[in-house]
Amino acid sequence: MEKIIELNGAILHIVPTKKFKNITISIKLKSKLKKETSTIRTLLSFMFSGGTNKLPSQQAISKYLENLYGMRLGASVSSKGKAHIIHINSIGINDEYLPEKEGLLVKQLELLHDVLFDLSANSNQFNETIFNSKKRELKQRLISAKNDKYSYAVDSTLKLMGKDQCLGISSIGYEEDLDSITNQALYDYYQKCIKEDEVEIYVVGDIKEEEYILFEKYLSFTPKKKSTDVVARYKNTREDILKIEEIQDITQAKLNIGYEINTAFIDFDHYAFTVFNGMFGGFAHSKLFKVVREEHSLCYYISSNYDAFNSIMLVTAGIDASQSDKVIRLVEDELDKFKHADISKDDFEVTKIMLLNGLKKSNDEAGNIIALKYNRDIVAKQETIEEYMEKLNHVTLADIQRVANKVKLDTIYLLKGSE
Amino acid sequence: MQEYYYSTLKETLYHQEYSNGLNVFVLPKNDFYKTYGLFATKFGSIDTNFKPLHQKEMIKVEDGIAHFLEHKMFDMKDGDVSDIFAKLGATTNAYTSSTRTAYLFSTSQNELECIETLLDFVQELFLTKESVEKEKGIISQEIKMYNDDPDWRNYFDSIKNLYHNHPIKKDIAGTIETVNNTTKEMLELCYETFYHPSNMVLFVVGNINPEEVFSIIKDNQDKKTFIAKEEIIRKKIEEPTTISKQEEILKMDVAIPKVTMGMKINDIILDPYLKLKREMTMNIVLDILFSKSGDLYQEYSNENLIDDSFGASFTQERDYAFFQIGGDSEHPDELKSRITKFIKELKEHLISKEDFDRVKKKTMGSYINMFNSPETIANLFIRYYFEDNSAFELIDILEDITIEDVNQLLLLFDEKFVTTSIVIPSV
Repeated sequence: MEKIIELNGAILHIVPTKKFKNITISIKLKSKLKKETSTIRTLLSFMFSGGTNKLPSQQAISKYLENLYGMRLGASVSSKGKAHIIHINSIGINDEYLPEKEGLLVKQLELLHDVLFDLSANSNQFNETIFNSKKRELKQRLISAKNDKYSYAVDSTLKLMGKDQCLGISSIGYEEDLDSITNQALYDYYQKCIKEDEVEIYVVGDIKEEEYILFEKYLSFTPKKKSTDVVARYKNTREDILKIEEIQDITQAKLNIGYEINTAFIDFDHYAFTVFNGMFGGFAHSKLFKVVREEHSLCYYISSNYDAFNSIMLVTAGIDASQSDKVIRLVEDELDKFKHADISKDDFEVTKIMLLNGLKKSNDEAGNIIALKYNRDIVAKQETIEEYMEKLNHVTLADIQRVANKVKLDTIYLLKGSE
Repeated sequence: MQEYYYSTLKETLYHQEYSNGLNVFVLPKNDFYKTYGLFATKFGSIDTNFKPLHQKEMIKVEDGIAHFLEHKMFDMKDGDVSDIFAKLGATTNAYTSSTRTAYLFSTSQNELECIETLLDFVQELFLTKESVEKEKGIISQEIKMYNDDPDWRNYFDSIKNLYHNHPIKKDIAGTIETVNNTTKEMLELCYETFYHPSNMVLFVVGNINPEEVFSIIKDNQDKKTFIAKEEIIRKKIEEPTTISKQEEILKMDVAIPKVTMGMKINDIILDPYLKLKREMTMNIVLDILFSKSGDLYQEYSNENLIDDSFGASFTQERDYAFFQIGGDSEHPDELKSRITKFIKELKEHLISKEDFDRVKKKTMGSYINMFNSPETIANLFIRYYFEDNSAFELIDILEDITIEDVNQLLLLFDEKFVTTSIVIPSV
């Protein structure tokens, strides 16, 4: 059972389990998602794995981690509705599986302490070498983001569809904002972030009660107020459907269709929408896959995704560009069937089973256990996995039809080759 | 039923061989919700020249046929097997590699039914001319998707250029042309030859009782008849030791150029234990030389030659082995000449005891971590099984590796066998 402990300026969630041979610790630093700060926050997240005063280079940190049986340390960013989150993750082997007791948990916490509070710096500036190399690393990451055509197409769709809204803000930032970030500015932002960000800490593994105190010792923050206003509700402000075509040197076209859905994570309809999305395009047995891929051989992949923190649904498909009108029509026809209650009871039952099993299985991966908990903690939603499963189970066919009728076509984006 | 306990991992593995030649392994993990089953045949994209079961002559089938067959296995007389799994609450999938094809399910309920369904759908082939034709469109889309991926193209080109004849140089899915040439009869011939139980293995891990699993499999197999097993004869591949092409430059829509260098290794080890030990030792060598903790990474990084996509890997299966290194680089030519020089001088290089001990510890940690994930365990197990090794013995073999083994391997590096593949921006 999860144990919740209030630390100084942070909430610690411990999930004790003997299931895993390692200990996973994930620290979440949460702030508001803003176009002006997403770049600097991403750069800061890169600094978290760059070096501490004790281990003042990438090489020193890497060697140290290797000596600790390949302990892992990494940082990443993501956004959830109105929130921008820096995740600092670390995985260490449980001592019980090592030839000798190494006290790895203490070393893991010491390192996380240093990463948070003692990054390699001197007189209010980061170590210049690390700063420059991380800045370059982020620049290359931003440039090469367009190499993966699938994610490039998704990012472009969300940017265009969500212009002037949370949805349109990139969580990893912007190349044009990066150059002007100085070492001094980043260091100042680091101080501010550690002081003001809301902190949640998750631990999954075989942690004994007498070890709880270690977390208090190493992870203590400045107290702050908690905000749970995270859900962003996407609203269409245009008259017409937004249609965009982009041309690049590719052979398989990427078609994305964005929908306004007026349903979000904290709503009563969240459960019905989750089931609806599963039936529509969330699985291999879903309508989109069955009709567009299996019946009409029009694509290799097609699926729909429900973003409950932004209140949108996005259909993505890899197709032949000349078939795009046909694919759009098929997708729209399938949606219409849901709206008119032309829904298979079998699909409905199967989708529920698949969702429930997926949730049960998520207990087998530390990362998933943490992600599910964080989704709820971030909006202060009190709900265990069992309660969530119960609510999904209570969704009716009438609920499916009702939420399908809230779905409104908003954006059609096509990335294609030049012939 | 045989039982093996591995004390370092605290895991118990159960094994049963059936009279038709099928081998089944079960790893109970009773505190998991998930059960994962993987049913694999030693039939991959490189198996295109062979003697069909109970026939006299060698034949050549179309490239990409193992992958094509994988797609068609999901068809059953009464529909798509994914639907049957979905009704059981399970998901199913499959993949084809150069040396094997594997079918899988993942579930948190109805475990025994899922195991039977997995056996049943793979142990029966249902093809029609129409369904074979229809699949060609789907596979062509898949090939196009891979063709647009610069990382895949760069990675694959570096392998392609190492070999003159070896079928490892062919794309796993084949080409749009070979896919279109594939026929129902060809698919059936491959199925009969390579999907015999004696050429397959089933691995199940999760919340299951081994005795129950073995007993339902016995009943299931007893109901089916298979023709007598026969050793599969694959055509021996005549591959010169030289590389086929020194450099390949491809223009694609990339922002930063990509470099992958490959090195052909002609010294192929036959003994399974020594072969696995070579692989593990090589991975230690590559970690010491090229990972973030090494001097080379630091140096190249400071000079802006590489970014964090830089890495090295060693591939060794059946009768081929090669080493690859590379990543994104603003200065592909400079990176190429530096790595070439480095490889040239490696024979004179000595790895320190300190580096060796550190990376050995890291390697042990990474093996322990792998045994947390049912998917990873199953896939690792199958891969080594077909090479007559056991994934559960990795940690023990690691103990056997010495600094002398590591330094000995440096002698394998030879710039004569190096090829370079570069992707540069098309505009």
